Amino acid sequence: MNYAERHVLETLIYLPMLAALVLVFVPRPQKTVIRWISIGSAIALLVMSVYAFLAFDYDGGARFQLQRSYPWLEILGIEFAMGIDGIAAPMVLLTGIVSAAGAIVAANIQRDNKDYYILLFLLIAGVYGTFVSMDLFFFFFFYELAIVPMYLLIGIWGSSSKFKDFDRPKEYGALKLVMMIVAASLLIWIVIIGIYAEAAAGSFNIEIIMAQVNAPGRFSETFQSVMFLMTMVGFGVLAGMWPFHTWSPDGHVAAPTSVSMLHAGVLMKLGGFGIIRIGMMLLPEGMQQWALLLFIIGTINVIYGAVSALAQHDLKYVIGYSSVSHMGYVFMGIATMTSVGLTGATLQMFAHGIMTALFFTVVGGIYERTHTRDTLVLNGLASKMKWGTAFFVIAGLASLGLPGLAGFVAELLVFIGAFRTEPILGALGVLGAAITAVYILRLIGRTFYGERDKKWDNITDLTSREFIAATILVLPLFYIGLYPQPLLRVIRPGVDAILAGLGA
Amino acid sequence: MGIEEAWLIPTYGFIAFGVIALFGRYLPSQGKHLSIIAIVAAFVTFWPVLFDFVSKGVGEYHVPRVWFSAGDISVGSGMIIDPLTIVMLALVTLVASLVQIYSLGYMRHSHKGHIADDPRIGWYFAVHSLFTAAMLTLVLADNLLLLYLAWELVGLCSYFLIGFWWERKSAVNASKKAFITTRVGDVGLLIGILILVAETGTFDISDIIYAVVNGDVSEGKTTLAAFMIFLGAMGKSAQFPLHVWLPDAMEGPTPVSALIHAATMVTAGVFLVARLLPIYEMAESAQMFIAIIGIVTALMGATLALVVTDLKRMLAYSTMSHLGFMMLTLGAGGFTAAAFHLLMHGVSKAMLFLSAGSIMHAMNDETDMNKMGGLRHRMPITGAAFTIGALSLSGIAPLAAFWSKDEMLLAIQDRLSPVFVVLFLVAVVLSALYMSRATYLVFFGPLKVENRRVHESPALMSMPLVVLAVLSVFAGFIALPLGGGYEGIGRFLFYGEHGHDFEFQPLWTVVSIVLATGGFGFGIWLYKSKRTTVDNLRVRFEGVHRVLINRYYMDTAYQWIVDRVVLALGRSVALFDRTIVNDRGVNGAGLTVLGMGKRLRSHVTGLFADYGLAMGSGVVAIALYVWLRSV
Repeated sequence: MNYAERHVLETLIYLPMLAALVLVFVPRPQKTVIRWISIGSAIALLVMSVYAFLAFDYDGGARFQLQRSYPWLEILGIEFAMGIDGIAAPMVLLTGIVSAAGAIVAANIQRDNKDYYILLFLLIAGVYGTFVSMDLFFFFFFYELAIVPMYLLIGIWGSSSKFKDFDRPKEYGALKLVMMIVAASLLIWIVIIGIYAEAAAGSFNIEIIMAQVNAPGRFSETFQSVMFLMTMVGFGVLAGMWPFHTWSPDGHVAAPTSVSMLHAGVLMKLGGFGIIRIGMMLLPEGMQQWALLLFIIGTINVIYGAVSALAQHDLKYVIGYSSVSHMGYVFMGIATMTSVGLTGATLQMFAHGIMTALFFTVVGGIYERTHTRDTLVLNGLASKMKWGTAFFVIAGLASLGLPGLAGFVAELLVFIGAFRTEPILGALGVLGAAITAVYILRLIGRTFYGERDKKWDNITDLTSREFIAATILVLPLFYIGLYPQPLLRVIRPGVDAILAGLGA
Repeated sequence: MGIEEAWLIPTYGFIAFGVIALFGRYLPSQGKHLSIIAIVAAFVTFWPVLFDFVSKGVGEYHVPRVWFSAGDISVGSGMIIDPLTIVMLALVTLVASLVQIYSLGYMRHSHKGHIADDPRIGWYFAVHSLFTAAMLTLVLADNLLLLYLAWELVGLCSYFLIGFWWERKSAVNASKKAFITTRVGDVGLLIGILILVAETGTFDISDIIYAVVNGDVSEGKTTLAAFMIFLGAMGKSAQFPLHVWLPDAMEGPTPVSALIHAATMVTAGVFLVARLLPIYEMAESAQMFIAIIGIVTALMGATLALVVTDLKRMLAYSTMSHLGFMMLTLGAGGFTAAAFHLLMHGVSKAMLFLSAGSIMHAMNDETDMNKMGGLRHRMPITGAAFTIGALSLSGIAPLAAFWSKDEMLLAIQDRLSPVFVVLFLVAVVLSALYMSRATYLVFFGPLKVENRRVHESPALMSMPLVVLAVLSVFAGFIALPLGGGYEGIGRFLFYGEHGHDFEFQPLWTVVSIVLATGGFGFGIWLYKSKRTTVDNLRVRFEGVHRVLINRYYMDTAYQWIVDRVVLALGRSVALFDRTIVNDRGVNGAGLTVLGMGKRLRSHVTGLFADYGLAMGSGVVAIALYVWLRSV
């Protein structure tokens, strides 16, 4: 390993923290300086994420690569250990892309943008930390670090909404989101301690624990069974698993644009990633026992989310429910326990992260111009927002699984896996993609097409900042859709190793 | 250049789309000429491919290429080049080129007193290119995934083009309806593909067919997959009961209709079934189902075409009816006949739509046939073209569709029960009737006073009509051995041992000629001399007429299902989600937690030190707990 390869993963954690620290010392009124420092740091992060992704040797390299470890609390076997496998590498790339786009979009924050960016960078550091940690203690630490800033970001910079028959103050959305996820993370903490104790290896390091999973007398079936269920629920809440998904629509409605982007874009993926990392890798027998339940819940997610989205007319509610629906494919893919399905699940996390961030970029732009997200009021915006329409339509098409865009490849792989294991659930999953087409096209038809109301005569197209952010997101959507091989070949060794561990 | 370079044919269109969509605004006339160049280039490139194909010997050529692989699944992006591909390439590139040239003239409207290009002309041509490119990819694809990709792209382009004038609510709704209806079928298609892939482990069409024919896939699975895939074909090829989008698709610019009806969209379903026909031969019930759906669609389309007064809708129902013929023929295993009719119908129908467009261009977008009449005096080229097309599709010898209709009849009476033959002949008579009705109403009889100033369309529009008219007269002769090694379409399409010469069974030919000519003549006579009789019939059978005018109430029924079932379900699930899952489940269970949260909220001070401290102490507390536990 050369110098850069040795240090790239820790830099991914340090750099956002450093950016946050630097921002602390920038005077509050210097908003432009704050913006440029932040955007610069986020782009540096993107570059490093791409570097880490490309440095991953998919052809015969070790399972965990770019490893780096610092002793921390040796008495407990806690070390600051980092490394990425085939599953984490695409997630790092995803975080880089979405963070860069998010930081650019966040430039529209006017009030206290210093504090906003500081929190945003802490969140980003947490996300990177979770993806690259090989030590379960730090995994959990970063996991919490990623969640907590969310409460303030939504509570302070969010927006309250009034609907015909109910209200959603921003505090409600923020509180519900954080409470549900933090409460669920208690389960995760119990699981981590439990695994640590059961392995009795005196270490939190994943590789060391994995070596103990098949040791005689350890990790009994009952233990794994109970622990897996807790893992599934604990991470499932963050991943929007039915019936613990209700924070997602309300949370997104309240959140400011860039927070929604990061949250739906990468934070929800921490949930799916956690199920793979802890559930599949450390509790293989538990996984096998509960696979069918996960499969069924995944299918419910897909259908329930899509059907709920049909009835919404607030843009963010639609996308919130759509996220619930799309995360269902991740659960389904994991539950197939096949190499195609799990590859599909990983790719789906990537694809959904990017398309949702793109959705929120445009929706945020619309809200800023019209101060509404109600599709009953919005109409005919296409003639004023050409690029906005184009980006939204592309995100929508990716969402409804149009071949040629990233979402399709991911869903297809999940479907192939599903048809080999549970064909009926797989068929329901395909049906979900058709319902998606209905609500997406209704949304596009109402918001962008039709005759334009006079009220919207003076709105403008995307600003160059919004345009750049959207472009950063659109390119990978097409690239992965047309040529997914670069991502698939990195995912492959990770998936193979996990399946070998499952004995499948 | 030979068949290995056939991938170039669709590539031009994709490039043109990309360039125009991104940079069209910087190009003269928004880059519309680029699109024309691309599609004409595809047409030109087709010829060396054809010559190479013929010189190498008619057969099936495979040009494999790997696209991506995941797990044990590998997906290709290669090509199959066989006679079916060749004839489809010929049809698509020819019709698309002519429609593009025609569009140059058609898409110039009078706008505030002067004639100019449509404001979104670039987008129009860009999507046109993409549409054609996608269809060309579809016919070239050697594996089901690439085919599905192209299939969906075709659907997307139709969505954009039908909804091209999106300021109009009706256009937006029509485009949505087209996309969603075909998408319902596509769910079946994808499921069918996935069943076959799960069974055979490959997407490759020849490998799958080989496995199925060899009996590697169980009969049940084969039948299920065949049914599911046919759902996709029903959606795209507007078969009952997924045909409802086709008449509404008239909201798009008329050249788009010509493209959709002749080359790039509705032919896809017929093509798909033809491509996978060996699988259907293994699934008898599915094949029977195709035949039944085919004849139902044919009769439904023909009866609807008989009463409708909108010229474009009449043509749409006619397309539906002819697609039904093709499906029926495929259900009878008549591969050659169906593909032959696909070509002949494509040429004639493209011309009919372009003629309709020519009339609309001259008459301020008027489409009501009752407001026309005697137009042949003012628009001789259009009138001649339309009449030739109508005669051809009525099956009158020796025009193009006569030959293919005859082939279809032979295939049907060979394999299916006499009921199908009789119903087919009924539909043939109806075809001749509605075509003669339309021709008479639009072009014959007295010219209306208000139409005195109508004039023939510009050369850009009439020249494509002339080309298609010539083809509609002579194209049918490809059924016959023309010498130079060419032994007729039967031996070309179905090469090898199963090929057959153009059959000529005097009895059936006489029957079909008599019925078609009789039907057409009767229609003209009825409208020319017995107009009152027609009106009386309408009054006499008012109930029947009302059912037909309301399209068998199918649109109404679907609308009801969407509003009262699908959306109502959505609303109730959403309400359930908000009030039960959230308010009861989450808020209720979390009330105590909420109390804590309220206290927490009063601490929202915006000071990071506080939160940092809180978080830090949390972590320390946890670490302490772990440490204590392990000691």
